[in-house]
Amino acid sequence: MEESIKHDRLARRYRWLATALAVLVYAYLVMPSLIVIPISFSASGDMSFPPKAFSLGLYREFFTTSTWMAPVLQSLKIASITCVVVVTAAVPAAYALVRFEFPGKKLVIMLMMSPVLVPVIVLALGMYLYFSRLSATGTTLGLVLGHSVYVIPFVVVTIAAGIRQIDPAIEFAATMMGASRTTLFFRVVLPQIVPSIVAGALFAFLISFDEVVISWFLSSAQTTTLPVRMYSSIQWGVSPVIAAVSTLLTALSFIVCLVSVALQPHARQGSATEAPASTNLQTVPA
Amino acid sequence: MTSKPGREASIYLAPAFVLALLVVLVPLGFVVYTSVYSPAAGFSLESYTALWQSALFRRSLLTTLEISAMGAGLSLLLGYPVALHLSRLSPRTRALCMILVLVPFWTSILVKSYAFTVILGKQGIINSSLTWLAGSEVHVPMLLNRVGVMVGMTNYLIPFVVFPVLASLLAIDRSVYRAVEIMGARPPLVFWRVTLPLSMPGVLSALVSTFVMSTGFFVIPALLGGRKDVMLANLVDFYTRETLDWNMAAAIGVILLGIVTLIAGTAMQFQKSRAIARGA
Repeated sequence: MEESIKHDRLARRYRWLATALAVLVYAYLVMPSLIVIPISFSASGDMSFPPKAFSLGLYREFFTTSTWMAPVLQSLKIASITCVVVVTAAVPAAYALVRFEFPGKKLVIMLMMSPVLVPVIVLALGMYLYFSRLSATGTTLGLVLGHSVYVIPFVVVTIAAGIRQIDPAIEFAATMMGASRTTLFFRVVLPQIVPSIVAGALFAFLISFDEVVISWFLSSAQTTTLPVRMYSSIQWGVSPVIAAVSTLLTALSFIVCLVSVALQPHARQGSATEAPASTNLQTVPA
Repeated sequence: MTSKPGREASIYLAPAFVLALLVVLVPLGFVVYTSVYSPAAGFSLESYTALWQSALFRRSLLTTLEISAMGAGLSLLLGYPVALHLSRLSPRTRALCMILVLVPFWTSILVKSYAFTVILGKQGIINSSLTWLAGSEVHVPMLLNRVGVMVGMTNYLIPFVVFPVLASLLAIDRSVYRAVEIMGARPPLVFWRVTLPLSMPGVLSALVSTFVMSTGFFVIPALLGGRKDVMLANLVDFYTRETLDWNMAAAIGVILLGIVTLIAGTAMQFQKSRAIARGA
C-alpha cells in the first residue's frame, strides 16, 4: 500500500517535470511571434521593450511608403499567381499518384518531390544560372515558376491525403453508371476534396508569400518581394517598420494555421497526428 | 491494358511533371554543368581543386557540418518533451496545444530572425533586463555568433522534430504501458526502457531531416551568425553575387547536393534494412 502511494507520487512528480519542460519549449517557440506585437505598436523609432508610448506610427509608415508597399504588392501578385498555377498542377497530379499504378511512378514522385530534399540554395542557384541564360532573372514570370515548383510538393501531399480519405467505391459506382474519366475527375472526385484544395491553396499562398531564398536570387530591384526587402532591411540596420510587417505576417500565419487545422480531413475524430499533411514531408529547408 | 492507365495518368501528371522537369531538373543540371565548365577554361575540375585548396571553403564545410549536427541534436532535446507532452493529452486538448507548434511552423523565418535580433541584441530585451537586474551595464554577446545561430535554428527546427516523434509515440500500444505499470516499473525506467526505444523511428527520422535541412541553411547564419558562422549556403551566395564566380558557386552547390543525397540515401537504406530485419 505504502509502496504504491510512493510510486504514484514519483509518477506524478515525473509527469509534472515533463509538463514543465514542455511548457518552457512552447514558450520558446511562440516567443518570437508574440514579442513583435507590442514593439509594432510603439512610437516609431523606439525599439525598446516594453514600449514606452503606444502609437500606430509604424503601421502608417508601412502602408504609406512605397519602399514597403511596392514589395508587398509584388509578393501578393506572385503568391496569387503561384497559388493558381500550383493548384492547377497539383490537384490532377495528386489524383494520378493516388489512383493510378504505372511504370516509373517512383521516379516521377522523386522528381516532383525533389524540391523539398534538395537544399533551396542549390535550387535557387540553378534557377539563377538557367534563367540568366534565358534572360529571365528579375522577371515576375521567373519568380512565379521558381515558387511554383518549390510549393508543388507541399500541395500534392496535402491533396493526396484528402483523396485517400474519400471512398473509392463512389468512383467505382460512377464508372459503373457510365461516367467517363473526365466526368469522374471533375464531378465526383473534385467536389469531395474541396477542403483539401482550399487548404492546399492557402499553404501555396503562404509559402510563396514568405519564400526568401529563391526570391533573393531571382528578383531584381523592380521585382523585390516583401521577404527580400525584410532580409536586406534586417541585414543593413533594422528599420522599426519591420515590427509592424512581422506582426501582420504573424497574424497571417495564425489565420492559415487555424484554417488548416479546421480543414483537416479527419480532425473531427482526432486521429493519430493532428499535424497537417504538408508537414509530413519533414523537409522544408530554410 | 497495362499501358492504358499509364497514358491516362500521364495526362493528369503532365503539368506538374513538365514544371518539375523544366524548373527543377534542368536548373540542377545547370549547376552540375557550370561546376565543371567555364567559357574561358572549357571542361575542367578546376573549381573543385580550387575549393579544396581554399581555407575559407574547408572552414565553412566544417562549420556547416558542426552547426547542422549541433542544431539537429539540440532541436531533438528540446522537441522531444513537447512531443511527449502532446502524446499524453486527449485528442481535443492536443489539437489546441498543437497550435503552439503549428504557428511557429508557419511563421516566416524573417519574422523570427527579426524577433531574435530584438531579444538577443546588445540593447536587446535580455541584455537590458540583465543590466536592470545587475544595476550596472551588462552585455552578454548572443547575436552575430554561434549562440544566435543555435537559437534561430532550434526555434525553426523544433516543429520538424515534434511531428515525427509524436507520430511514433502515438503509435505505441497503450497496453504496453499498462503491462509495465502492473509489473511495478518506476517512471524513469518506463521512459528509458519503453517509451524512448519505441519512439526511435521518429527520433531517427527527426535527426536525419533536421540535419539535412540545416546543411542548406542560409537566412539564419546570414542574419544571426557572425563571421565565424559562414555556412556553405552563404558561401554560394557570396560567390554568386559578390565575386560573380559562378563556377565556384556551382561546385559548392554540387558538394552540398552530394552531402544531402549521401545522408538521405544512407538513412533510407538503414530504414529498409531495419524493416527487412523485422520481417516487414
